[in-house]
Amino acid sequence: MTAPTRSSKKRKQDDEDEALVASNNINIEMQSDEEEGEEIESDDGGVDEFPEIDAGSDEDSEEDWGNGSDEEESDDEEDGANGEGSDDNSQEDLHIFPTAKTIVSDITGQEKRVYPEIEPEYDSDSSTEDTPNRVGDIPMHWYDDLPHVGYDMDGQRVLKPARGDELDRFLNTVEDPTSWTSAFDKKAQADKPLTAEELDIIRRLYANENPDANYDPYEPLTEWFTGKGKEEIMPLTAAPEPKRRWVPSKWEHKKVMKIVRAIRQGRILPNKTKTTSQPQFYAIWNDSSVSHAPPLPAPKPPLPTNSESYNPPEEYLPSEEEKQQWKEMDPEDRERDYLPQKYSALRLVPGYDRFIKDRFNRQLDLYMAPRVQRVKLNIDPNSLIPKLPSPASLKPFPNYKSLRVIHQSMARCVSVSPDGAWVVSGDESGFVGLWEVNVGREVKKWKFNGKIGSIEWCPRTDVTYFVVGTEDMLHFLIPPNLPPSVLQLTQSILAPSTLPPAPEIPSPVKWSTPSSDSWTDETAILTVHLPPSSGLTTQLTWHRRGDYLASVSIGASQGAVWIHQVSRRHSQAPFRKVRGKVQLVLFHPMKPYFFVATQQYVRMYNLSEQKLLKTLQPGIKWISSMDVHPSGDHLIVGGYDRKLCWFDLELSDKPYKVLRYHTRAIRSLHFHPTYPLFASSSDDGVIQIFHARVYNDLMTDPLIVPLKILRGHEITKGLGVLQIKWCNRRPWLISGGADGTVNVWCS
Amino acid sequence: MGRLRQKGKAGAAKAYVTRSAAIKKLQCSLADFRRLCILKGIFPREPKSRKRANKGSSAPTTFYYTKDIAYLAHEPVLKKLREHKAFAKKLSRALGRGEWSSAKSLEENKPVYRLDHIIKERYPTFIDALRDIDDALCMIFLFASLPSNPRIPPSLIENCSRLAAEWQLYIMRTQSLRKVFFSIKGVYYQAEVMDQTITWLVPYQFTQNIPADVDVRVMLTFLELYQTLLGFVFFKLYTDAGLVYPPPLDAKRDENAAGVGAYTLQQASDKTDKPAVPKVKVVEVEGRQVSGKDVFKTIKNMASSSNNADDMDVDPPVVENDGGDADEEFVVHPSKSEPEAASSLPTLQSLKSLPQSINTSLFAPYTFWLSRETSRPIFEFLIRSFGGRIGWPESSGGGSPFDESDESITHVIIDRPVVDRSSETDEQRQRRLKRKYIQPQWVADSINAGKILLEAPYAQGEILPPHLSPFGEFEGAYDPAALANEDAAEEEESEIEDEDAEIEDDEPQTATAGALEAVASADVEDSAALRAAELAAEAAGIDPSAFEKEIAKSQRKSKKKSSNGVDEAEADMNKMLMSNKQKKLYEKVKHSQNKRVLERSKLEEKKKSLQKQKRKQGQTIP
Repeated sequence: MTAPTRSSKKRKQDDEDEALVASNNINIEMQSDEEEGEEIESDDGGVDEFPEIDAGSDEDSEEDWGNGSDEEESDDEEDGANGEGSDDNSQEDLHIFPTAKTIVSDITGQEKRVYPEIEPEYDSDSSTEDTPNRVGDIPMHWYDDLPHVGYDMDGQRVLKPARGDELDRFLNTVEDPTSWTSAFDKKAQADKPLTAEELDIIRRLYANENPDANYDPYEPLTEWFTGKGKEEIMPLTAAPEPKRRWVPSKWEHKKVMKIVRAIRQGRILPNKTKTTSQPQFYAIWNDSSVSHAPPLPAPKPPLPTNSESYNPPEEYLPSEEEKQQWKEMDPEDRERDYLPQKYSALRLVPGYDRFIKDRFNRQLDLYMAPRVQRVKLNIDPNSLIPKLPSPASLKPFPNYKSLRVIHQSMARCVSVSPDGAWVVSGDESGFVGLWEVNVGREVKKWKFNGKIGSIEWCPRTDVTYFVVGTEDMLHFLIPPNLPPSVLQLTQSILAPSTLPPAPEIPSPVKWSTPSSDSWTDETAILTVHLPPSSGLTTQLTWHRRGDYLASVSIGASQGAVWIHQVSRRHSQAPFRKVRGKVQLVLFHPMKPYFFVATQQYVRMYNLSEQKLLKTLQPGIKWISSMDVHPSGDHLIVGGYDRKLCWFDLELSDKPYKVLRYHTRAIRSLHFHPTYPLFASSSDDGVIQIFHARVYNDLMTDPLIVPLKILRGHEITKGLGVLQIKWCNRRPWLISGGADGTVNVWCS
Repeated sequence: MGRLRQKGKAGAAKAYVTRSAAIKKLQCSLADFRRLCILKGIFPREPKSRKRANKGSSAPTTFYYTKDIAYLAHEPVLKKLREHKAFAKKLSRALGRGEWSSAKSLEENKPVYRLDHIIKERYPTFIDALRDIDDALCMIFLFASLPSNPRIPPSLIENCSRLAAEWQLYIMRTQSLRKVFFSIKGVYYQAEVMDQTITWLVPYQFTQNIPADVDVRVMLTFLELYQTLLGFVFFKLYTDAGLVYPPPLDAKRDENAAGVGAYTLQQASDKTDKPAVPKVKVVEVEGRQVSGKDVFKTIKNMASSSNNADDMDVDPPVVENDGGDADEEFVVHPSKSEPEAASSLPTLQSLKSLPQSINTSLFAPYTFWLSRETSRPIFEFLIRSFGGRIGWPESSGGGSPFDESDESITHVIIDRPVVDRSSETDEQRQRRLKRKYIQPQWVADSINAGKILLEAPYAQGEILPPHLSPFGEFEGAYDPAALANEDAAEEEESEIEDEDAEIEDDEPQTATAGALEAVASADVEDSAALRAAELAAEAAGIDPSAFEKEIAKSQRKSKKKSSNGVDEAEADMNKMLMSNKQKKLYEKVKHSQNKRVLERSKLEEKKKSLQKQKRKQGQTIP
């Protein structure tokens, strides 16, 4: 494009729009002065309409426009650059052709001529458009996530103008009275005031009117073909009118006749005779085509009983309390849905008010209640009780209390001598009594410090002594009035003149014997000092040979178990570490096995091979007592949760039988050494005697027959019978209770 | 490794569907589903594990068998229900548009479903149907007595009362009523039809109000089914009995409130002049040959019935034991392989000769008159079912075969207190003395006893003996009659003793009483103690017989105690060795047993105390 053409064109326009220019300029100035920030867009709009005015006509106006565009344009253009640009423009006006510069190329190293870039702004048509955003008519939401809203002519991004936050917007709406008539222009990213025409259109749309203001819905009808003098006289076609216009249709006639004939013949019933609402009945069951089994009939309601009679026997009538009870009960819980009543005559019987309700309930049962076929149990409940031999045929067993020895406090432990003639019993206050089984005469009494935890006779028959377990100590005592030979032997065993050599490793357990001249009946001949703070010795148990003695004390968590060897005066802890708290230990009667009961499990160790053989799982929460059958193949375990488990050691780790018959915790269990009996005692103050026959062949299960319940101990402080022991050669039972009595039960 | 099994593809998850799933599958509304379930007799099932059946959810839901629902999906009634839904829409649209003529034609072509096939499916044989009509009869009799309202149209009630009357007519005709029980809920009847025991309950004649918490739609759906079922059952019963079904209704008599008497039973052969389609069909399908002999018999019957002056339409068929029947006796031809097998076959003759358990013509020799305060439908049905004749005053309805002055009346059923008859005429007095006046309970008790009871305890104004249920109770239940008979002697004895004791207590013989007490307390086994007690008694001057009695008593007591005690203790100990499962079962059985025993003992105790009270009153009054 050349400058002269441009200038001439501009001049022409100038002439045409002189007046407009003036007004527009004023307008622009005013706006730009007043509000520079946001109202610029609207000022652009104003410019839009007159794109060519400002360029040449007037320098003031051009500069103004230039400033306006600068402000409107993106921030990355510097003001200085703009200034240069305007300078270039002014220079450009002077030179028609741009002058070339000669520079040395960076790449080739040779000179080259470089022309300045052509500014298309004043030459091209597009320069007349001043809209900076050139994205065209596209959905503007494409730019929603981007910082810009399009590109200007240079391909530079047109950034979104900063928009105030909600608060600003709100303030604007409050402050600016025109804000409610402005709308957001997405392309310009700014609010633009709506024009009067647009507002008018909106108003019309609201009022359900035609948006076009010029449209008149009530235009007078222009009649073109009706009315006087406008009739069409000439027919449109010259064809004669067809016959079908006035002759009845033959085909219609045929169709109608077809229906008529059908009606006459009775094939079609014009008015179908109304089917009678009464169902027609016929012999439905006469054709015996039974293809399927009938569904199960619904259960019939129970037949009425005597109590439903209008005149029942008087005993059926409910008393006042029963009536009240019936009324208060929930209707579903009631055994019968009526109250028996008596009327002296049939005429006095009133209507039954729940009749329809009853019928309805029956129907609900029929279609809504799930039906379950139940096999009716018709068994005699007594047949469920196992048939066992009568206790009378299994005599002897203890069945009555023959005598009673009284302690001052709870008799925690008892022990019977191997010959079954003497009993020692210890109590909580530290007294140990020695008495005779047959008459209960107390021969001797010892006093120890603290509670007596356990007492056990040595099972050897050639010597006679017993061990008393107290706090941290075991006392070996010799009963008085022994034959001299036995006494001598016992003394030589417990306190030999030449002490066995001390073990290499010093043991925490000390064995001490007073000097032989201070030996009396009152004091212990031998005392074993367990490690300090090991607590009360709760259990003592002898190996059958009478040389080894195992003790369990409650205080120490580890090292609670000690095995003491009397002949070597040596103690050893069999377990370096025990899982759980050891409750009880037991020697196997035949084999070198050792049972250890923790709270929930019973472990069986082989002492000679020093390994774990079995872990028995009684399923008891807390084991309280345990005993092994003299044959060594069966073990009974009792728990504080009232269970007694019988283990067949050759059968399984799980109990062969679990019995629960005591109402409180089981405290003690004991197998009779010779008779097939065992007994259990519990905190409910009851001793239960069982017959327990064990067969040698592996096929027959052991026979357990409950024989007798021995009552006689009183419950004191929630504790009942604490320990029971059998007499060795007789079916007699010794029991020590929390009430301080030690009873002898004889057969 | 076996095939991988997907969860929910087999077993309970597949066998059961929840109700909502079923409705979704059938694409019908809940109301339609309920209707279908009622009509088809489909009911929910209880899966063994609800969790497994409901895809792991334990929410409370109803389960149905999937197969049941699949069976419902093919139901023609379901199709009709859908059609009805469409029809209802069309009709409402037509009405909304005011297109009356199209609405009318729609109404005329309204889809109607029939239940015949459902009856046949649910009851493949007639006996199956007969076994299940108890509930149907109860409902029919209930609705026959209901007042009509907008939800219960009069035509329905009319149909129900017609069915009820038909059933009663049939029972009366075949004399198959067995037991009757007047309860506080209504009257229970028990009939034996085709070897099936059918029990139904009829409310007393009072207006019943439908409570608000009863869904009448459910009842009406059931009633729909029951009406159809009973229609078919009665058709079969009537045709088998050689009667025309339905029995024609005499409108004039019906208007006079003749009740059952408004219907006339017609012999099937009577109706030959009329074009009775079903009857002809029956004759064909049953393959019965109408022989000349039959015709002769019916003519004879007709003649005898026409001779009857009282115009009774329900007459027991005359049993003819003439020679003709005797010739046609069943002759057993013993088979060669099993010569003894056939000889034990029961024949009709042998069965007839067996003693019948119940006398169906109990009231045949008597003629009854109903006093106006007694319920006519009940007693008309009862008396006529047992062959009696009955008449009633005009106030109880029309159609009475005779009036009060009839000479043949033997019994008058009256339910009024005795009044002073000072103003009666001589004739009236004569008549009164000739007749027996009984209270209504006599009829029921006689029927249940199977014999005519003595009228005296049931005479007018008497305090009635208790009315007991003829259906009995569970085994081992308290039996008021048995207790009265068996224990009477024993009770008397004990009472006498009690009285003695009372008397002795009253007397201030402290020494005597003390000695006797000593005897009672002494250990009877211990001979020494016994001896000492005897001496003490002698010293106190007690009658030796009294002393012996006391000893025997205490011995018995102690023996009972000791034997019981030993046994129980042993059993208790043996219970220790029961397994947990057995223990629970035992407890359960014992619990129910104890409950029964407790109930029984409670009643017995009550009876004893009542008797004692009565005796005391009896003693004090004279």
